[in-house]
Amino acid sequence: MIRFEEIEIGYSKPLLFIPSLTLDDGKVYALVGLNGIGKSTFLNSITGQTSLLSGKLFLNQQELQKISKVNLPKLIAYVDSSFSGVEYLTVFDYLALGRSPHTNNMGQLNTEDKQVIQEVVRELNLVHLIEKDSSEISDGERQLCAVARAIIQSTPIILLDEPTAFLDYLNRQKLIELLVLIAEKQQKTIILSSHDIDICINNALEFLIVSEKKILKTKVSDKQVVIREMEKDVLKSS
Amino acid sequence: MIKKRIPFILVIALLLVPLSAFIHLTTGEIYVSLNDFFSAIFEFKGNNSSHVLIREFKIPRILIAIVAGGGLALSGMLMQTLFNNPLAGPYVLGINSGASLLVALSLMSGFSFFGSDIGIISAALIGAFLAGILMMAVAQRIRSQISLLLVGLMFGSFTSALVSILESLSGEGALKAYTLWTMGSLQQVEFDQLPLILFIFICGIFLSFILIKPLNMLVIGERSAGLLGLKISQVRFLIMGITALLAGLITAFCGPIAFVGLAVPNLTRILLRTQNHSYLILGNLLFGSIFLLLCDSFIQLLSKQIALPINAFTSIIGAPFVVFILMRKLR
Repeated sequence: MIRFEEIEIGYSKPLLFIPSLTLDDGKVYALVGLNGIGKSTFLNSITGQTSLLSGKLFLNQQELQKISKVNLPKLIAYVDSSFSGVEYLTVFDYLALGRSPHTNNMGQLNTEDKQVIQEVVRELNLVHLIEKDSSEISDGERQLCAVARAIIQSTPIILLDEPTAFLDYLNRQKLIELLVLIAEKQQKTIILSSHDIDICINNALEFLIVSEKKILKTKVSDKQVVIREMEKDVLKSS
Repeated sequence: MIKKRIPFILVIALLLVPLSAFIHLTTGEIYVSLNDFFSAIFEFKGNNSSHVLIREFKIPRILIAIVAGGGLALSGMLMQTLFNNPLAGPYVLGINSGASLLVALSLMSGFSFFGSDIGIISAALIGAFLAGILMMAVAQRIRSQISLLLVGLMFGSFTSALVSILESLSGEGALKAYTLWTMGSLQQVEFDQLPLILFIFICGIFLSFILIKPLNMLVIGERSAGLLGLKISQVRFLIMGITALLAGLITAFCGPIAFVGLAVPNLTRILLRTQNHSYLILGNLLFGSIFLLLCDSFIQLLSKQIALPINAFTSIIGAPFVVFILMRKLR
């Protein structure tokens, strides 16, 4: 669960103001908004990469500022949109890095770690990839691996920055379905930013629409509602 | 299959180290048999001239080749992982330049303390460390891999210009001492200095092994590693510290040795095909030692005709290899 109280987000000038917002366990939220409106900054604020200008942010009842750097990765997993693979880094070694918040100082995997990795690999159908070089698989496969790594991290909260960007239609649908399933089954809070409004509506995700320096949490069944909301920014500035 | 391949290569490399040392032993100007070598170690007699020769010249030179080769390769690997840049290394990023500048300053200052062994060693260490801090500050602001190298190159030109100015101002003796130092040599180390050198070398290795987990995390980039809980600034400081310690130590005793720290880590990755640093550390130590032992054997072989500086020789082999890596990576 994530709770926002009187929060201002931004750099020198505030980009977003969130008086009160609660994101529940067991749900997947779609973060939408025009380019440069503050979606990434919003996600970065939750991971603590961008500090809050004011207000309080709670992750599972704990205040973000009071969580140590060592414990934060046990609460939040973050999926970057930009992992482009590393030569000679196998997919298995890449996925295993997801366990690093839980492993000892030498980073050795114990039986539980290996079990978690195996389960996720099976669930996401990545078995044929694990021995491969992460720089030699397709963009779509890499995206899927990045998501797998976040699930392997076993955190109550997962944030994904445009996870569907490189995927074809079928894989997009499959990924969203999987995230919904995981959120429900393991009671996780998942936020994904996306420009693919249709697929988010089709899967009945709850929307977080960023516009006019605010975040509107709403259930949407009509794409036009989202577009109208996002357009407010354009109309205002023109 | 993959899991057995890497240990197999490492075991072969481990066997190649004594073999290269043996080649090194037999290529010297004065022939040394294995028998003499072992009796010089185990039944040393002070009045036996070949025992003295082995103890005073052969053993230090072999050990220094192992320390310098392994140490430079290791510090190159650390920098490449830290900067996420396969073209990083103590030489290209100016660690050697920093050490050279301070050594030049201390040699040409005219004070005898600064010209002594301890003076040169501390000057090289301080110079290496200062250059490391400078490069770290620059790397914070520069994201492009090539730009960082260009900055290193500029830093190198800048320091060598400063050194030239110093040279023109200084006397003949200091000039000669400095020039000899820059040519690089594995034969200036004496037997009594070995314990200190080996101690620092082993500390560097030990610290690198402690950093295996952070190093493996850094492979996917500082940002992602940070989100997985890596304490970036602490790790950065430690890595630069080890690098400066190893590269500074070796530069102090052997002079600047180019390209070992750049070429060997790449070669190791290509041979082992892994990003697991527990293997990479071992691989770099072994391949670096073998590489420098063989280079120095070659220099010994030619020593009757020409006195080839080790720095020139590693560059002749290393520079084309780096061009090969560039063409492979940046097509």
